[in-house]
Amino acid sequence: MSKPKISTDWMCGCAGCHMSLLDIDERILKIAELADIRATPITDLKEPDESGVDVGILEGGINNTANEEVAHRMRKRCKILVALGDCAVFGGVPAMRNFFTLEETLKRAYIETESTDSEGKIPDNPELARMTRVRAVHEVVPVDIFVPGCPPDPDVIYYVLSELAQGRKPELKGELLHWH
Amino acid sequence: MLNVTIDGKSIQVPEGTTVLRAAEQAGIKVPVLCDHPHLVPFGGCRLCVVEVEGMRTLQPACSLPVSNNMVVKTNSDKVQAARKFVLTLIFSDRNHFCPYCQVSGGDCELQNAALEMGMTHWDYQPNWKPYPVDASHPYLVIDHNRCILCRRCVRACGELVGNFTLGIEERGASSMLVCDLGVPFGESSCVSCGTCSQVCPTGAIIDRQSAYQGLEKKVERTPSICVGCSVGCGVEILTRDNRLVRILGLWDSPVNGGVLCKVGRFLPLDDDRERITRPMVRKDGKLQPVSWDEALNVITAQLKPLINQKTHGVAAIASPRLPVEALASFKKLFKDGFKSDLVTSLEEGATTTSASLVAQEMGAFETNLEALQSADCVVVVGADLYHEEQVVGFMIKRKLPANTALVVIDSADNEFTHLARATLNPVAGSESYVLRGLGAALVKLDLAKGTPAGMNAEAELKTAADKAGIRLEDLSRVASLIGMASRPVFVYGRKVNADTLKALVELSRLAGAGQSLIGVRGAANSLAAAQLGLEQPFKRNGHQAVYVALGDDQPSQRLVQEIEGVPFLVVQASHTSRLTAMADVVLPVEMWAETSGHYLNLEGRLQASTPALKPMEGVYSNTAAIEAVAMRLGIDVTVDWKAELQQSPAPVTLAIA
Repeated sequence: MSKPKISTDWMCGCAGCHMSLLDIDERILKIAELADIRATPITDLKEPDESGVDVGILEGGINNTANEEVAHRMRKRCKILVALGDCAVFGGVPAMRNFFTLEETLKRAYIETESTDSEGKIPDNPELARMTRVRAVHEVVPVDIFVPGCPPDPDVIYYVLSELAQGRKPELKGELLHWH
Repeated sequence: MLNVTIDGKSIQVPEGTTVLRAAEQAGIKVPVLCDHPHLVPFGGCRLCVVEVEGMRTLQPACSLPVSNNMVVKTNSDKVQAARKFVLTLIFSDRNHFCPYCQVSGGDCELQNAALEMGMTHWDYQPNWKPYPVDASHPYLVIDHNRCILCRRCVRACGELVGNFTLGIEERGASSMLVCDLGVPFGESSCVSCGTCSQVCPTGAIIDRQSAYQGLEKKVERTPSICVGCSVGCGVEILTRDNRLVRILGLWDSPVNGGVLCKVGRFLPLDDDRERITRPMVRKDGKLQPVSWDEALNVITAQLKPLINQKTHGVAAIASPRLPVEALASFKKLFKDGFKSDLVTSLEEGATTTSASLVAQEMGAFETNLEALQSADCVVVVGADLYHEEQVVGFMIKRKLPANTALVVIDSADNEFTHLARATLNPVAGSESYVLRGLGAALVKLDLAKGTPAGMNAEAELKTAADKAGIRLEDLSRVASLIGMASRPVFVYGRKVNADTLKALVELSRLAGAGQSLIGVRGAANSLAAAQLGLEQPFKRNGHQAVYVALGDDQPSQRLVQEIEGVPFLVVQASHTSRLTAMADVVLPVEMWAETSGHYLNLEGRLQASTPALKPMEGVYSNTAAIEAVAMRLGIDVTVDWKAELQQSPAPVTLAIA
């Protein structure tokens, strides 16, 4: 049997979950032995193979049309989709902005911040992705495995990866399950 | 007894037991949110649903009483699915975002319940409606976004504290926690007891002082007692890195059963007085830090010549917040060692002298706080339970919905007046006539138990009406309230003099209530100070030196004035104050949370305080400081303080093991 292929991507998050993934330290070599780590934001290959991967991992919520595209592409190209971290699972910290309108949020970010001078202006390049409400991944595409945590503990990530690499479905409970 | 089978386990429980409590007895854990062991079952959250054989739908275990031969399943697939669904709905009702909540990570009962159910996520997103955050209260914040409408706070506010500030407005999805009739928390009738924050299962009611100070799971917990007043409530002191984080009411305490007041819960964390960490001696008009040895040398040089100088020697005054051990050594040092004629406590007997005098005459005449639990009439005489001994006030107020009649007899109105079924406002100083008049009215109404010797009821009534300015019909209305009650309890406070107290004892006997008096006494160890005879007025009269064992107490304006100008002043204190600024020698001592010692509460219950914090190096316990001084002076202060406490008759039976 060939090694299962794993690919990851990030959307509206802080990259902290990927940092936590790297925090599994030397254990990443074991994962590399068991699985074929393909495209990730921290490897050279940037998009999951068109021929498909076994496991797709997404960090971050979905807050614009570009993220929607990333989520749909990953869903299409993977067999098992993992939502990694609170942003992917619930919307996380970025979802705080859902309490305000998009206009209010943009105004606050680009015009009203204390460090912005009178030149502040909301970007309006038509090529930019269009902003939306912040959503959890499962609101946009079906998710198979949820790994909550802000960020999830490296031990939890290692457990999830090693189970998936060995063709098993990880079951998060007890000590392995905690949110922040 | 009823038979019940829970998850295949058969047990017997008394009638009236709920399925939840029966399951607990059988060692089966059923998850709950709205239920709280100290509150009446409510059945609001539905997390505790169980399957009962023969019943069509799932039933809430918390509010379902066991019936005979009931068969219950607490963990079937149907139950599990229902619980997950309940949690999903609660999570999506408001905005339960764990990453930015201060109780997340072990302190949130909602989060813990979901984690126990193995929930990695919930299917429905929240409604994204921002709910208000009420930060108008000095000690508490209500974040409605986190509220799950379990009503624990509402029930605690009513059932435990009797304050009824918190309530719910509207119905269904529009339900909101409100204060009074919808005023900001800080402007409401809240008395800042903080019980709501202690029972809140989520981060909806946040205690400002401890919020975001670290997870409660990661703190050290020390069960101890509060030394804020004479009630002596059980507390749980939460500390982290030798720093106070939070104070909780101790649910297991036989005194307060988990309830605290502002004085016990919040004020200790507000203490921002400067700590004294080294002994200091006045040199060239300025206090200079010195070693203990040097400070003790100065004290010895100044005080040694004053030994046996009765009236021109040392006047000594100690805080009634000190443990009994320190008070007993203090007394032995100054009364027996120095033979001083002025050895007393900061309260100068203000709250204890009447009771001590009456106890000399008739022995113990009081009862303990438990009597309030079954009282159907409470008569409060000369006590302001809104400001002092507040927990006793809570115990009375929470009885009012059960139709307990409250009678207030006070020359001035206080916050209890408007709650009272009847109020008598005698002219100040005429309280004893009113109480005798009430006794006479009892006799006249034929409600008195026992025959008073030689009482002229008509004459007593007339005196009461004349001297106190009370109408006869009011007297007889109050007398009938007391007379009709089967378990009346009388609570008296500091405004009651010995004569009035005697009249009160007589009245309680006529009411047939046996020993049914409760006296509130001011400070944590006021009763102990009184038993040690430390209750004379502090009037300096030619004394050459004053020794103040202040501990962590605050000196009163009057004390500072009385002491001003004394040739030599020693103060042992934990914090700087006007008094330490005047002192010639200052000795650094522990504050309450660092103290290990005993306290005699108003019921005569001897309780031990356990240190939750470690004092700084060089800071002595109050007892050790007194012993160090005594040793230099060659005076032995070892004392059997338990025996000492029992030497004079006490107003209440002392529970000293």
